[in-house]
Amino acid sequence: MINTEGMVAETAAKIYTDLCGREVPHKAEAGEYPQALWNALTENGLPLAWVSEANGGFGAELDEVVGAIWASAQAASPVPFAETLVANWMLDRAGLAPADSSASFAISGRTPSADIPFGMHADKIVLFDETHQEISLFDNRLAVRSPEAALSPDGMTQFIFSGHVAEQSARTSLSRRAVEAMILTVRAVQMAASMETALNLSIDYVSQREQFGRPLSKFQAIQHQLAVAASECAAATMAATQAASAIIRHSDDPEQAWHEAVIAKVQIGHSVEAVTVPFHQVHGAMGYTQEYDLHHHTRRLWAWRDALGNEHHWSKMLGAELALTSPDQIWKGVTTGHWVAS
Amino acid sequence: MQRFNFPVIQPDPALEELRADLQAFLKQERDAGNFKPEPECWMASADPEFSRKMGKRGWIGLTWSSQYGGHDKSALERYIVTEETLRAGAPVGAHWIADRQHAPMLLKHGTEEQKLDILPRIAAGECYFAIGLSEPGAGSDLANVKTKAEKVADGWKINGQKIWSSGAHISHYMVALLRTSPADGRNRHVGLSQIMIDLSLPGVTIKPIVDLSGDAHFNEVYFEDVIVPEDCLLGEEGGGWAQVTGELAMERSGPERFLSSYITLETALWQLSGKLGSDSQARLGKLIANLRTLRGMSWAIANLLDQGVSPETEAALVKDLGNRLENDLTQQVRAMLDDLPSDQWSPDMRRIMNIGVLRSPPNTLRGGTTEVMRGIIARQLGLR
Repeated sequence: MINTEGMVAETAAKIYTDLCGREVPHKAEAGEYPQALWNALTENGLPLAWVSEANGGFGAELDEVVGAIWASAQAASPVPFAETLVANWMLDRAGLAPADSSASFAISGRTPSADIPFGMHADKIVLFDETHQEISLFDNRLAVRSPEAALSPDGMTQFIFSGHVAEQSARTSLSRRAVEAMILTVRAVQMAASMETALNLSIDYVSQREQFGRPLSKFQAIQHQLAVAASECAAATMAATQAASAIIRHSDDPEQAWHEAVIAKVQIGHSVEAVTVPFHQVHGAMGYTQEYDLHHHTRRLWAWRDALGNEHHWSKMLGAELALTSPDQIWKGVTTGHWVAS
Repeated sequence: MQRFNFPVIQPDPALEELRADLQAFLKQERDAGNFKPEPECWMASADPEFSRKMGKRGWIGLTWSSQYGGHDKSALERYIVTEETLRAGAPVGAHWIADRQHAPMLLKHGTEEQKLDILPRIAAGECYFAIGLSEPGAGSDLANVKTKAEKVADGWKINGQKIWSSGAHISHYMVALLRTSPADGRNRHVGLSQIMIDLSLPGVTIKPIVDLSGDAHFNEVYFEDVIVPEDCLLGEEGGGWAQVTGELAMERSGPERFLSSYITLETALWQLSGKLGSDSQARLGKLIANLRTLRGMSWAIANLLDQGVSPETEAALVKDLGNRLENDLTQQVRAMLDDLPSDQWSPDMRRIMNIGVLRSPPNTLRGGTTEVMRGIIARQLGLR
């Protein structure tokens, strides 16, 4: 269960309730960016929640913030709130000041470009450069941005880093695995929240829609599809909770949370098809329309499962790592969550 | 507001000491040739001698008071014991059911005399129980039970038949759901009661049913004018339905719902050490992600139960997901074993894999079928 108590989570939940009703993601997609929502988040300092006090943030506990991310994903946030949180966390971990506006992030190793979520809306891009062990801040507004045929309404943009001068840059003690652990955990929380919201939409829809003289919810074929989807949603919540718990426990050394974060990615990534198929199926053609809300969640789920490598990529990464350890170590990890890097 | 409640529990070092003791014992027993590991060991591998050894070490009856032969420990310690024995594929089938559900039932509903007599024997690994729910005409439709108990001068007179009773042939008692008064019109949930039956009484006939692999671990049990004392009624007369469904909800989330086939994976991992191809590594990664997640769910429920909360929906979800995972695990391991030519498989590997395949059908049947689970989940979602 994701902790949704505490000032940060409750403030974020209230802002999303007040300023991100069901019409807001629709309007955002039609080009009406919800500036009021973004302003409310920044006026309350929420994108700085994970920034240390020394760096101008308020150094909130990690678990107070995951509840805020849950609230944002429930509302199908059309502003890069979670992305800015992560970007600012990365900057902070390099001793850099947080971004003064919205931001997104990328990890780069050998390639000069990266897929950036919210690439068209985030003002800044924070890059983790593994080769130089550096965190850099780029101005996204100056970049040549190429919106691809994106799965998600938030868009995915190619950013060519070579030839651009970073506004700030500093060495970081964060390892690639530490950055991956954080990003995968945040995504897991978003995905679990989004799945649960789409489940709720589906339950409401089948309870109201009548065919053959009775609500769809009374058909066993419908009940069983949604029961299976619900179990996948519950597992997603568990996996996200476990990952969040690991990163909270290891906030000084997030690399230690890598296995639990990857497990969440693999578990939830594989569940996306198992939930989005029945959600769309029970909605019939209505769920395929732009007018209806379901796609605000299902399209984000399809995009998020691909982000930073899809579930197949991460299954291989995890399996390759586990193949180097003994079955005794694997069992220890399964039962205690204590994983040893090979 | 989140729909599902799965709290995360921080690791407890005391539990890990218990785990280490279990692992050492199980390794020693296996190395000494005292058991051969098997999938589905909690249902199909019964060895009274092994149960007595577990009892001597204090690993049965962990949760109840020492006054009744128990060990005053929490449900979490019991969980560690169960998951370690499942992992090892140890022959725990004789005492499993008595330890899991009938001892708690006796603690709640039994007379002082019954508790003092029976519970210490269960904890010693010497007294076994069988479940008496299904009948030829009552499977998923459990409320259709016809076996009757009539009130007579010296107790209850029982007539009828139970079926699919695992371990009845080695059990000392059965707790049966019986009709003690007629249904109230269409409401068949009234008039059902739970009664404990000494299986050595005259009029009890136990006939083994042979499963598709040739094993005989479940039975038909016939009752012909069997008289049990009045105090063998457990709980309320007529309250059997609520008691049974409540118990079923409690036992659906245990580790036996998703770890029954783990021995197959672990045996394969030892075999395939250093030989796993990339396709197999991906399968391993996914399986472990699924197992870790389900373990988290099941463990969270164990903690809630320990605190007196009974999360029925979550338990049904775990059973449905877990049973699917157990069967999927066997299939994934079959695929992974393609990395090793079959003439290089150890005899243990082949034996365990084959047993795993042969014992897979009941996973999604016992304790409530997949279809029944999905019905329960759907009701909880507000769809029924």
